[in-house]
Amino acid sequence: MTNQSNRRKVIQRIAGLGTAIVFGLNLNLAFGQTGGGAIKVGMTGSLTGPYSEYGEAVKNALDLAIEQWNARGGINGRKIELTTVLDDQLIPDRAAQNMRRLLDDKSLDVIMGPGGSGPSLAVADMVAADGRTFINPFSQNPTPTYPNGLDKPPRANMFQFGILSNVEAEFLGNYLGKTYKKIGLAHESTGYGVAGKDTLLSIITKNYPDRKFEIESYAQRSTDVTPQLLRLQRAEVDAIVVVGLGADLVNIRRTMRRIGMQQPLIASAGGVSVAYMEGAGDAAAGTIAPLVGALVESNPRPEVTAFVNSYKAKYGPDRQWGPDKNRPFAGMSLIVIPPYDGANIVFEGIRRANSTEPAKVTAAIESMKGIAGVNTVYSFSRQRHHGIDAENLTMLQAVKRGDKVVWEVLKN
Amino acid sequence: MNFAATLLVAGLSVGSIYAMIAITLNLTYWTTRTVNFGQGSILMLSAMGTIFLARVGLPLGFAVLVAVGVAAVVMILIERIAIRPAMSESGSMGWAVSTLGVGILLQGLVARYFGSQAVAFPEVLMSSDLYLTVGGIRIGAQYLLVFTFSIVTIAVMEAFLRQTVWGRAVRAVAQDRELAGVMGMPVSGIILISFAVSGMLAGTAGILTAQIIGTVDPAFGFNLLMSGFVAGILGGFGSNIGALVGGLLIGVIEQFASGYVSTALGHGISMVILLLMLAFRPQGLFGTIEVEKA
Repeated sequence: MTNQSNRRKVIQRIAGLGTAIVFGLNLNLAFGQTGGGAIKVGMTGSLTGPYSEYGEAVKNALDLAIEQWNARGGINGRKIELTTVLDDQLIPDRAAQNMRRLLDDKSLDVIMGPGGSGPSLAVADMVAADGRTFINPFSQNPTPTYPNGLDKPPRANMFQFGILSNVEAEFLGNYLGKTYKKIGLAHESTGYGVAGKDTLLSIITKNYPDRKFEIESYAQRSTDVTPQLLRLQRAEVDAIVVVGLGADLVNIRRTMRRIGMQQPLIASAGGVSVAYMEGAGDAAAGTIAPLVGALVESNPRPEVTAFVNSYKAKYGPDRQWGPDKNRPFAGMSLIVIPPYDGANIVFEGIRRANSTEPAKVTAAIESMKGIAGVNTVYSFSRQRHHGIDAENLTMLQAVKRGDKVVWEVLKN
Repeated sequence: MNFAATLLVAGLSVGSIYAMIAITLNLTYWTTRTVNFGQGSILMLSAMGTIFLARVGLPLGFAVLVAVGVAAVVMILIERIAIRPAMSESGSMGWAVSTLGVGILLQGLVARYFGSQAVAFPEVLMSSDLYLTVGGIRIGAQYLLVFTFSIVTIAVMEAFLRQTVWGRAVRAVAQDRELAGVMGMPVSGIILISFAVSGMLAGTAGILTAQIIGTVDPAFGFNLLMSGFVAGILGGFGSNIGALVGGLLIGVIEQFASGYVSTALGHGISMVILLLMLAFRPQGLFGTIEVEKA
């Protein structure tokens, strides 16, 4: 009697659980297809750790985009909620763990991915297998979205909004090849530095085969880079190009001044950070770098002005905005605007699809042509899931204006 | 000529900082026969402290003094919390783990409360573009000042150890801790002084290095500690003259190896020197082999 009673209870529980699962799945499916509840977004980013400025940039951008859409009534009447925010410190393993948590949460409709190429590569396969709509905010490596090369179709659910490394290399390489005969190239000894140097060299040697190079590497956070710079100075290079991050660029710039190097300093986009501007101070003046020029144009598009005003109204002149209260730091185009544009494009895709079903959202985004964002005017297709092209880039130069160093379009 | 001279100046400047770090390790080694493996975080703490205090409005010079003072206090705490308990058991090497643990904890605390990004360090000494021309050779004034400041600081500390009562007491404890206690010397107080002075020197070395690099982050100091440690081994652990010579040699060898052979060699040559010294002359250039009498 007792055994029968127990068995019945177990069967009842299993049945109840099964019903709940099926009901739950149906509910999820129902929300995914027809809408009704809030559209839920989850993100992982480097919110703490040495690269916390990146995660902070993505979170600020996402919050701003969501606030603006909700103020307009949401997407087809549905509010947007950022329900899950996870910290990966730009560590690939941690980003992969976080992504697993996000993907296990079936209530999420949109995933904002981690910044940086390493974490993006670490999560790319699982995101592609899951299929939900994914925004890659600013990693430069194209492989997460184009695993088989840029001439092959991208992964259906992934969209990338940073400056792809080959796009930067093409633009920077052509500028260098056109302008200088003997180029001194200093790169950090990390994967980012080595890959960046290789790509740059391949572009210049292909398009300008008579150009000469002197190449030096340095370890991240080296105490002293005098020998590397002296070797470049002795080789009488026309310019110093650095593929590395901002904190080391400070050391390079200061050492150049200490040993009296007069050559122009050209930095990859990754070096143009708040850390560089603060650390180098007035010495930053003269530095040249390729960036999206949206924030330094003399006649900015209305979308740019609207973004600048709304960012300042919400966050004030914060660390991302930079030291000049009256104009935003040009480097915002690297880490703040891409996730902002990315969120807006995906939300617009959901609006046009009237659904959060990934295939419909992808189809809606791929049909977009000439959509004005902040960094550029976006067009997508089945072959194209990224935004920035070489023609969107501008050579900028840091210039001393009064007591501040600001970025302006490089003349000539 | 200019190339070699600039390498030499940079090597002596960076090497003088290595020497200072090696001497900070000597100070605590004398009195407790331990090495603080968290010393790198003391370098970071003073540099980060200077930035923080300057940002909240303290005059820069005063911010430097307070930050160096904080470094001394933290070193005293390390002795009380991480070293003394671990040494209560004879022959225990627990201090190696506990000092490293405190170093990592300090990094974490700084990252938690002051952020983990590289932060700009103000120009305390002078601008990086000032220089002197000697015999047609350009010498960066910052390099020269860092070198001079380090050497003077080391000289003052050596004078303190040799000329003052407290300095002699530190040396007495270094010679024979038990006998010093029997003779009525306040051994615990002397140990605390050695840690405080070690902290002040480490703090100064951190600020000087930050002046050259231009930025500071919570991980700042670890590589410097390694170079200081190698300088100590090269010169002879426990010998201040050895630390000075070892530091300058390491600094100059790194620069010349990078300049004339390859920068990759410059990165690793101090580790090669460390291995060679441990294998063939573990007492270092100026050290003596310690013999325990039965």
